[in-house]
Amino acid sequence: MIAGRPQLRALLEWPAWAVFGRNLRVYTSNWKTAVVPPALEPLIYFLAFGLGLGRFVDAVPYDGGSVRYVDYVAPGLLAFTCFNSAFFEALYGSYVRLHYQKTWDGILTTQVEVEHIVWGEALWAAARGVLNASIVALVLGALALAGLIDIALPWLLVAPLFGFVAGWAFAVFALIFTAIVPAIDHLNYPVFLIGVPLGLISNTYFPLPTDAAWMGWLQAMNPLYHLAELIRGGMLGGPVGPHVLGLGLSGLVLLFVSACFAQPLVRRRVLKG
Amino acid sequence: MVVRGLRKRFGEAWVVDGVGFDVRRGEVLCLLGPNGAGKTTSIRMLHGFLPADGGDISYFGAPLRTDAGGPAGRQARSAIKRRIGVCTQDDTLDPDFSVRDNLWVFARYFRPRRPDLARHIDGLLERFGLARFADHRPDQLSGGYRRRLMIARSIVHDPDVLFLDEPTTGLDPKARVELWALVAELRALGMAIILTTHYMDEAERLSDRLVVLQRGEVLAAGLPREVLGGLLGEHTLVLPPDAPERDDVAAWAEREGVPTQDVLGELRLMVEGPQLAAFTTAFPGAPLHVRPPNLDDLFLSLSEGDAEAGGPTRTAGDLRAVPGAPS
Repeated sequence: MIAGRPQLRALLEWPAWAVFGRNLRVYTSNWKTAVVPPALEPLIYFLAFGLGLGRFVDAVPYDGGSVRYVDYVAPGLLAFTCFNSAFFEALYGSYVRLHYQKTWDGILTTQVEVEHIVWGEALWAAARGVLNASIVALVLGALALAGLIDIALPWLLVAPLFGFVAGWAFAVFALIFTAIVPAIDHLNYPVFLIGVPLGLISNTYFPLPTDAAWMGWLQAMNPLYHLAELIRGGMLGGPVGPHVLGLGLSGLVLLFVSACFAQPLVRRRVLKG
Repeated sequence: MVVRGLRKRFGEAWVVDGVGFDVRRGEVLCLLGPNGAGKTTSIRMLHGFLPADGGDISYFGAPLRTDAGGPAGRQARSAIKRRIGVCTQDDTLDPDFSVRDNLWVFARYFRPRRPDLARHIDGLLERFGLARFADHRPDQLSGGYRRRLMIARSIVHDPDVLFLDEPTTGLDPKARVELWALVAELRALGMAIILTTHYMDEAERLSDRLVVLQRGEVLAAGLPREVLGGLLGEHTLVLPPDAPERDDVAAWAEREGVPTQDVLGELRLMVEGPQLAAFTTAFPGAPLHVRPPNLDDLFLSLSEGDAEAGGPTRTAGDLRAVPGAPS
């Protein structure tokens, strides 16, 4: 059975949060190695895209007017981090726990069941996205105070929280691949066929033209697009409300559809041993 | 715990086919059988990990439904699983945590939690000789101590029933003896223990009752002595490889319908009392050694049975000692 009605109630049961708590505990005990790289990555991207590429692109069309490229890309970086961190954690982090550390085999001898593991892992991946995005927010805050970018600072505080919704949905989606890949190398497929292209065409680094209707639909269904535009709207004074709605709807659809596949597939994988 | 008619199918093959037994408090039940007999699969169904394809399992008078989905199914299972401890064959220790935190984090997967958990964990570390390694990582421990930690972790929530799946496989003799002492201690505390092994001495020494599995079926069950007597006969006669009477004895055994085993040239005969008398009359001078049958004899005869039945090739390891056996 590769698809089935997802066990939504399991999300609210304590074992799902025990799985989440286990991963959080690992993070807090290794926080030094967990904090520095996510702070460096956006800084590098900002230098490369914002300051490097930005020298050749002075203005980007936005909300009927235009904005500087560095200001355009800053909120995009924040959205990208929420997505990318959650997606990677649910692929590589979860796969290591599933396959190499046999963590789930141990957990499944307790009162915790497979559905709890799927929810707990996805919640954790989303939280990881929020944590990494908060670090990016600190970096962007410093850049803003240094006068390099011009964004509404209070949005640095709330943006990562909206990122939780998108990160959560994409994490459950990622767990489908975690459950079916035969070996860790095969995770390159979801990363390069889905993660990297999606991360780039969601109005994160540049605005995507939406001349064709199907492209418009694709964007409407893409939680990352809504997240990037939502944060950008807040930081640069553009539209926010429609994207809050869009993020909520597209996030829930992706979450629900992914859970229909992720839970039975993870169950099958774990039982196969 | 009561088990009746437990079945499991992988593809077309029934890996477990009609297994049943009871276990009471303070009792060690040993599931014994060659590799591929269905021991681990049975255990995985019994603790609710693997859905069964047939049969009934009940604990403390309540059924364990391994395949029931939904919140109600999970809740019913959860109440039973709160009282079960499982030590799997493979180590599943968490490399991200210290020895103490392994116990602590695992205890969080059980509710309700005991109020004095920290003290209880200290007590476990002490009893299992792990106190001085409390802040080490599991991968810094020797194999024997990792196993101890696995067992300590499986009882961190005070279960009433404990599953030990091949707890001493791969350990050196000293570590094995130390673990046996721990198992005896746990039994004395009143736990019901279900243990799988393919070590004969372990089963003889630790178990109150034996269940012998072969190709997913119960071949025999009962007290260790009874099981051996029933399956193998009263005595085992051992004739060394260089005995001149060897061929004559083999011919005699075939005539009399006495089962034999050839172990590295050594001829073993499983006989009842009257047959022993007949044998000593027929071969008065044979350089004979008579001993009670042990589980080694049982295993070798089970493996031969497997080979004759074209059984699973996974028994090849057990057959290595038998010349002419398929490998």
